[in-house]
Amino acid sequence: MLDSAKNNRQDLVLDSMPILQQTLQQTRSPLTNPECPVLALGLEGSANKLGAGVIRHNPDGSSTVLSNVRHTYITPPGEGFQPRDTALHHREWAFEVIKSSLASAYIVMSDLDCICYTKGPGMGAPLQSIALIARTLSLLHNKPLVGVNHCVGHIEMGREITGAKNPVVLYVSGGNTQVIAYSRQCYRIFGETLDIAVGNCLDRFARILTLSNNPSPGYNIEQEAKRGARLIPLPYTTKGMDVSLSGILSAIEVFTQDKRYRPNGKPQSSEDKDIITPADLCFSLQETVFAMLVEITERAMAHIGSKEVLIVGGVGCNERLQDMMGIMAQERGGQVFATDERFCIDNGIMIAQAGLLSFRMGSTTPIAKSTCTQRFRTDQVNVSWRA
Amino acid sequence: MATTSASMRLISSSTLISQGAEAKVYKGYLTPSGSAVLLKYRFKKTYRHPSLDTTLTKARVAGEARALLKCLRSGVNVPGIRMVDASEGLLGIEWIEGKSVKYLLPSGADDGDGEGEVPVESPSQTLEHFGISVDTLMNLIGIEIAKMHLADIIHGDLTTSNMMVRDPASFTSLDPKVPTELVLIDFGLSYHSTLVEDKAVDLYVLERAFASTHPDSEPMFAGMLAAYEKQVGKEWSALRRRLDEVRLRGRKRSMVG
Repeated sequence: MLDSAKNNRQDLVLDSMPILQQTLQQTRSPLTNPECPVLALGLEGSANKLGAGVIRHNPDGSSTVLSNVRHTYITPPGEGFQPRDTALHHREWAFEVIKSSLASAYIVMSDLDCICYTKGPGMGAPLQSIALIARTLSLLHNKPLVGVNHCVGHIEMGREITGAKNPVVLYVSGGNTQVIAYSRQCYRIFGETLDIAVGNCLDRFARILTLSNNPSPGYNIEQEAKRGARLIPLPYTTKGMDVSLSGILSAIEVFTQDKRYRPNGKPQSSEDKDIITPADLCFSLQETVFAMLVEITERAMAHIGSKEVLIVGGVGCNERLQDMMGIMAQERGGQVFATDERFCIDNGIMIAQAGLLSFRMGSTTPIAKSTCTQRFRTDQVNVSWRA
Repeated sequence: MATTSASMRLISSSTLISQGAEAKVYKGYLTPSGSAVLLKYRFKKTYRHPSLDTTLTKARVAGEARALLKCLRSGVNVPGIRMVDASEGLLGIEWIEGKSVKYLLPSGADDGDGEGEVPVESPSQTLEHFGISVDTLMNLIGIEIAKMHLADIIHGDLTTSNMMVRDPASFTSLDPKVPTELVLIDFGLSYHSTLVEDKAVDLYVLERAFASTHPDSEPMFAGMLAAYEKQVGKEWSALRRRLDEVRLRGRKRSMVG
């Protein structure tokens, strides 16, 4: 598994080199401005977030976010979300969320030009619920469907919001950790995790510490880390442009069994100096893992010769990660683009954005093919709308 | 630090040649009358926690020096080590006068509309200057990689840009038929391993590099492998089997989202 990933990475890196230079020279996008405004509803539910959003692309080439509604399935501290329960949550809330997204956009179903839904990747059961809802709406209101790759949704939304032209993308979330760059109608994966995703690593550690899952485990780790001071040595595992994170999780878990560990974060007495607190562990985990991510991003930037970096995905709203990336970009004379939690964390609007781009290029998903899939790599998508 | 260290003074008196993600590369001189050295400086990464940065830099400089040393001891042609200052992140190695193999082999035809770094001389002319044919060059590459793998060093980033051919003008060869020597460079991603798997992956990485930078490279790579086989001896059958396996892997993988 490990080595096959390594090979694959080489495949992508080496194949894409001469191509990248070519595409940088072409600037004309094949996408033409619409004659009249086009509207899309986006439905997202690949993990524990259920989102619905409406976007409008205007004839002058700009776009307007009309609504962005989200409902998160939050589990008790120490517990993750199970596929079955998550799917149930999505089915229970779908009507409410979609209705409120249409209402706050001041539109009705008949105003829409297409309905976009997450085709994958993600958890099977929640994806199926969303696909079913999208299909039902499509048949009820006779609107075309567009299946969207979740990762491409993140990238397109990030580009739209930040205005980054051709950035190296660091996509970090609960299920994905990838360094991506665009070349020739494809978002190529330059580096990625060889085992678990960074969000998964943080979430699982939050579970070990029984931190709250509200609003998200990652957010609570970030807050906890601000009070940490002591850097605990953890494995540092970058392999070329790839990273491995599962070993770090095991290593840090061991420290919660350490004699010096104080679960309440307080020394037992005034003599008790050599202690490790939960805050120290959160701090060390973030410092180590984020340094690895910034390092592989920098390597990809140097490789391609790009100066822009865009951070997307749920972990992307972590301010420490944004800061570190900012320092790195500044040193290279570049710039970092990041968005806040509205667009970083899974949402419906990003699905609408990517779906609408593909719809405007004339591609729709017929009902018979409106499936979903747990495995759907970023580089499998034909990015027809970019030059 | 009140005074600047010797390493820092050395860097400030040297000329910057290139900057990668990891390190800055300089050409400098240890003594005024001595020969040139190549300085690889892993500068401080301010985004990283200072103590994490120090540990990593130290380990990486030492690791690279260790791999070079092991190669030197086993008779692999690599640049000689001139100085190591792990805590400052500086590695000084022999300056090699010559040309990267990348520019000695025909490159992609669609390179024309690239950034215009087309070499003035055609590859075959340059090879003539080095007094060798493409076949001899492949033979040299195969032998050198085999020697490195026999020493259980995995390069980790084998490409044609990480191999150099010495300029015959500044080098006296022991072999009258081959006036030059092939040198493996950049051990930044190297590590020690005895596994057939790692060696096979190393070869696969090179195969991919050949395929993407030099069109119609199959016969060249085959020639390289033949020389490798001869040098590596009895380990070859296991290695070949594993290389075939590795080749099949890369493309099909689909990651769990």
